[in-house]
Amino acid sequence: MADFLSAYSIQNWLESCPQGYLEGTEFGHQPGESEPELLAQNKILHEEALRTTVQLVVGERCALAASSGLINAAPDEASKRFLATQTLDEARHVEIFTQRLYDLGVARRDLESVIKQYANHNLVKFAGVLLEKVDKKDFVAGVVGQNIVLEGMAFTVFEMMHALNEQMNPKFAHVLSGTIADERRHVGFGENRIGSLIKEFPGKRPEIERMQKEMSYYMLATFADAFRNNPAAAEFDKLQQPQAHAKWQGVDLAEMPPEQMESVLADTVLKEFKVRLGRIGIEYQTPARP
Amino acid sequence: MTDPLESAEISEKPDTQRQRFVLDETGFDEVPKRFRKFYRKWRGPGDSLAANEVICPVCKVVIRSTRELRPGDRIYCMPCMSRLIVVMGETGMLEALVAY
Amino acid sequence: MKSKESGSAAVEVHDLDPQEFLEQVHSFEFWFEAVEGYLSGLTFGFRPDTVDITLPDLDRDRLITVLCNYCVGETAALEGASGLIAIAPNRMAKIFLSTQVVDEGRHLEVLLHRLRMLGVADPEAEMERRANRSLQLFKRRLLELVSSKDWEAAIFAQNVILEALEFTVFQNHARDADPITREVLLGIVKDERRHIGFGENELGRRLKTAPHIRARLGQVKKELDHLVLDTLEETMKELNVDAGEREKLGRSYLEAAARLGLQP
Repeated sequence: MADFLSAYSIQNWLESCPQGYLEGTEFGHQPGESEPELLAQNKILHEEALRTTVQLVVGERCALAASSGLINAAPDEASKRFLATQTLDEARHVEIFTQRLYDLGVARRDLESVIKQYANHNLVKFAGVLLEKVDKKDFVAGVVGQNIVLEGMAFTVFEMMHALNEQMNPKFAHVLSGTIADERRHVGFGENRIGSLIKEFPGKRPEIERMQKEMSYYMLATFADAFRNNPAAAEFDKLQQPQAHAKWQGVDLAEMPPEQMESVLADTVLKEFKVRLGRIGIEYQTPARP
Repeated sequence: MTDPLESAEISEKPDTQRQRFVLDETGFDEVPKRFRKFYRKWRGPGDSLAANEVICPVCKVVIRSTRELRPGDRIYCMPCMSRLIVVMGETGMLEALVAY
Repeated sequence: MKSKESGSAAVEVHDLDPQEFLEQVHSFEFWFEAVEGYLSGLTFGFRPDTVDITLPDLDRDRLITVLCNYCVGETAALEGASGLIAIAPNRMAKIFLSTQVVDEGRHLEVLLHRLRMLGVADPEAEMERRANRSLQLFKRRLLELVSSKDWEAAIFAQNVILEALEFTVFQNHARDADPITREVLLGIVKDERRHIGFGENELGRRLKTAPHIRARLGQVKKELDHLVLDTLEETMKELNVDAGEREKLGRSYLEAAARLGLQP
């Protein structure tokens, strides 16, 4: 166990993250990059950008609370130290997505009220399920909830958003690519560390499976809210704004109606959950569809 | 506790009457590059403070300014994140008090 | 991260608006650019070309005991700082504390690595075996304060008392340490500067608006003082520091509390 964890050391983190892919960036993007003019000019697209970014801030705040809370519950020093780097990664994500809200014109004094206004209640419930485990210092359930379910979801969502923004909004795409690189470590740790702990504590399985089912439901409900009531696609059509091709998972997102995008995203995340959970010895539970 | 930032007399002499300093790099490496010249390590006995320097009481680094310091000036210690106010100490030397 | 060399000569740092200063120094960006200055090129806290010297057996054994106790202190700091994020009163404090968490994790890592270099096969077991009782009691009490979600008392115990103790001890130890231990300790001291500064300034601001907190902090200090001073005394004995110097170091630790109006 100690050998595999040496790959998750702070030394490794320093060399790969601040001295690696984040070098030369400013709040996660290249210096001088800015949000597209269209977002400032079009009220509907601007509001959707705010709404989307608020969900990212809410998710990352949850991840920050969870990863820091899990340090005290970790059974060994090496896991504590990895979670220390994850805590800082999550704080960086909170900071860069908060900065995006400022870049989109949110005044500093209005930050909390904007977050409150746009935060999706299903995402808040999703976070609540995880933080309850963290509060109880349940390390195994907490890491599955955080590093497999939450991070697995974030990983896929960020990848899709990256594909959508790569050509239209390079600034935001750069911010996302740095977070994706971070998430890779987080999901890796979740699988590698928890796999051995599940073997050690097989009795934890039913409780973890219930948690995964519940979190998955709230995740799907968040996706449903985000895609089914999203006026951005119609606005793009109205503006006759050419949408750049965005290839992801073998499909072109730019040519898809929102509900089809929702379905591709949900299926991809759930498939990932199933595979990842299977690898650590947890039986994936199909959630109800909202 | 009173906040020296609120209660202290801010030096009223215009900036033009103050001696100006060009700050060189000092080898101090604990803050982002653009701020490094504003700080240096205290070299212990034998070291002395210039008119634009004062010691941070919290973390003991020497804080430097591009202008001569006077009682009432507000300064920042970035290495320990303290806001400070310059005062005349009992020894007749400039000192810094933390302004919480 | 981004280097902003250009135009730096024209900016007078002390002209920043106070709020802007606080936002700046508590940010992840600031931390990143700060640590880049002194961690770049180091491996486990020292330059790869620094030569390790062979210590006489007795000195080596004493160093192992001291480093084991530093590891106990850093584990306390890691667990304490991570627990504090949940109860931090605002975003800036949460983000600052997450940089502190990774600092503490790094300290633990470089110290454990140094122990391995000194021939300790299982540093975690050695820590248990050689841990100072007062320091263990301090750790337990600190984590109780964090668990009870008492922000002021916990930040006082963690960022004022524990950090001031480490700052004092490490700085002193570095003076006479072997080259590798010296580099490792000096790197840690550079991080501690931010931590003690954050604790003192955060509490100072709170005491200004809620002076009644001072009595409670005085109680916490009274309770923890002897544990801290015992630990300091034992560590300094292991390092062969004479009695006069030990007293001076004890005073230096008490100064931070005095600036907050907490008298011995």
